[in-house]
Amino acid sequence: MDLSSHPDPQSFSAPAPRAASRVGPRAAMIFGFCALLILMAILAFDSVHALNELESSSAAVRQDYLNRERTLREIRFSLYESGNLLREYSLARPDASSRESYLKQLHDLRDHANSALDSCLRSLPRDQNSAFQKLGDELSSYWLLADRIFIVDPTEKNNVPLRNLALTQRASVLSLTGEVSDLNELDFRQAEAQISRVFSQTRHRIRLVALSAFSLGLLLAASTILYLSRLERHAREKFEETVRSQHELKELSKRLVDAQEQERRAISRELHDQVGQSLTALLIDLQNLSDTPQPASAISSALQRVKLLAEECVNEVRNMALLLRPSMLDDLGLIAALEWQGREVSKRTGLVVDVIDSEFADDLPEDHRTCIYRVVQEALHNCVKYAHARRVRILVQEQDHRLLLSIEDDGIGFDPRRQRGMGFLGMQERVTRLGGSLLVDSLPGRGTHLRVELPLTASPLPQGVLS
Amino acid sequence: MKKLRILLADDHTVMRSGLRALLERQSNLEVVGEADNGRDAVSLSSSLFPDVVVMDVAMPLLNGIEATKSILKQSPSTNIVMLSMHSDESYVMRSLNAGARGYLLKDSAASELLSALNAVSNGKSFFSSAVRRLLAEDYIRVLRQKGIVDSYDLLTAREREILQLLAEGKTNKEVASDLNISPYTVETHRAHILEKLGLHTPAELILYAVRKGIIH
Repeated sequence: MDLSSHPDPQSFSAPAPRAASRVGPRAAMIFGFCALLILMAILAFDSVHALNELESSSAAVRQDYLNRERTLREIRFSLYESGNLLREYSLARPDASSRESYLKQLHDLRDHANSALDSCLRSLPRDQNSAFQKLGDELSSYWLLADRIFIVDPTEKNNVPLRNLALTQRASVLSLTGEVSDLNELDFRQAEAQISRVFSQTRHRIRLVALSAFSLGLLLAASTILYLSRLERHAREKFEETVRSQHELKELSKRLVDAQEQERRAISRELHDQVGQSLTALLIDLQNLSDTPQPASAISSALQRVKLLAEECVNEVRNMALLLRPSMLDDLGLIAALEWQGREVSKRTGLVVDVIDSEFADDLPEDHRTCIYRVVQEALHNCVKYAHARRVRILVQEQDHRLLLSIEDDGIGFDPRRQRGMGFLGMQERVTRLGGSLLVDSLPGRGTHLRVELPLTASPLPQGVLS
Repeated sequence: MKKLRILLADDHTVMRSGLRALLERQSNLEVVGEADNGRDAVSLSSSLFPDVVVMDVAMPLLNGIEATKSILKQSPSTNIVMLSMHSDESYVMRSLNAGARGYLLKDSAASELLSALNAVSNGKSFFSSAVRRLLAEDYIRVLRQKGIVDSYDLLTAREREILQLLAEGKTNKEVASDLNISPYTVETHRAHILEKLGLHTPAELILYAVRKGIIH
């Protein structure tokens, strides 16, 4: 039950979760989940992309290597074939027509090698083709030499050195293809190493992103669980509070009915047993006096008795009237009534009661007077019965169209959030009906400070409404 | 001898007729009027000029305390005896503050009214014995509860003497002639007394004296 609109931690009102703390975690969690999803998407996209890249670049490297090796194989093949052709030509002593056919075969081989080399050169970047360029140069000088051999008759004597020269050139070209092949392999190995380096970098990056996504997820999960459990606790507390206040309300109305009945019974008994008896006795005495003539002394003593009975009646009636409602409240105003009450309690129990009023005109509406009077009555009752206070300070003042009441005792105190008597509910009810608020500030061992604030302007608006 | 002119103000007819019966048996008294509410009491006293008004505290339209204030504003020499059901100090204090000279409980009106009228018409204060007893008891209880030293002990013998005379309703001048000192000296003493006892008004001084049993 929220007994007050004040954000006072000690008041009966449950500490309402502040707006900031309610929005904060929610926004943070939304942000966190978005970040997590984005991170996961990045992770997936990045991984797939990196793997694709790696796969394609690794395939390209292998394809390049194979292309070059094939080119070299073609060139070697052409060279061997041309060597065979050369040897065959030198042994066959061919006529002019067969020489033509040899020459044609040689040209075919040459074109085959050149076209392979050309296509390889075209596929290579300019900075990597120097070895192949050099190979091409050597190759074309070999083809020139070979050409010359087939044009010259094999029987002619200068053919032999020419052939030797061509064979030497062929050998050097062949060894050059070996070198180029080695180079090609080295290139391939380097490219492989580069790829594996990129691969390990990618792996590292994926690991990093995955790890941060995992930690963020963990953090989010933890805070979500925490937040949810807090919400759950809040809801449970609220629910318990509602149930309790419903119970209290029921209890209060029951007590009110009981109290009213009890009060009526007490008044009735008092009237009947005390006042009624005294008046009856008085009547009997008067009857006796009027019925029989008596000596003067008997009359005087009977009158004395009648007087005593009458005084008794007066006292009874006055005490009952004061108990029901002190006449000071109407005759002399609130402060006088409070002072009287303080003195009465003080006389009865020894509690020291100080009533202080400051800047107080004491021209309150009837309802306000009664409300404050009853609240003080209940508070003093509590001070004596529960708090075992020795001293109470009651302060009444008027400020900015508000009536402020403060009751402070030095008693044993209590925890206002746990213990609440029906008396407190009754006070709360009275104060709420006038649109005011009631705060209880207390701790075990620290006394109790009760504060009431009543608006004094015309139409009271309900503030601390009973939930 | 001139008769004492009395105005009765009480909203209960039975009470008024009882008091009137009591007073009419006295040869030196005369009931000049009756009022059954505060407003009538004020207007009657402005037309009848009674010597003493016997005023009920709780009355309709205007209560006895407010009526007392109004009457004393018109004719400050009127003596007013408060008539009340309550012996509580709130009533006594407020009555004295309003300017009443006597405070009489209705219970004891029959036996004490004549003494009260006698006292106030001679310029003295009067309090019902029950009131004096209760006030004194309260005073002692409060002193004991709060563990305060009785400030009466702080007064000198001369100051106590002057306190009693002032509380009995005497003016500075009367006290001065009684004690054969100058009124200025009395005024100085008076200021000292008020300061030592923590009092502020003549009413508080009278109430204090009643509590201490200094005046009867």
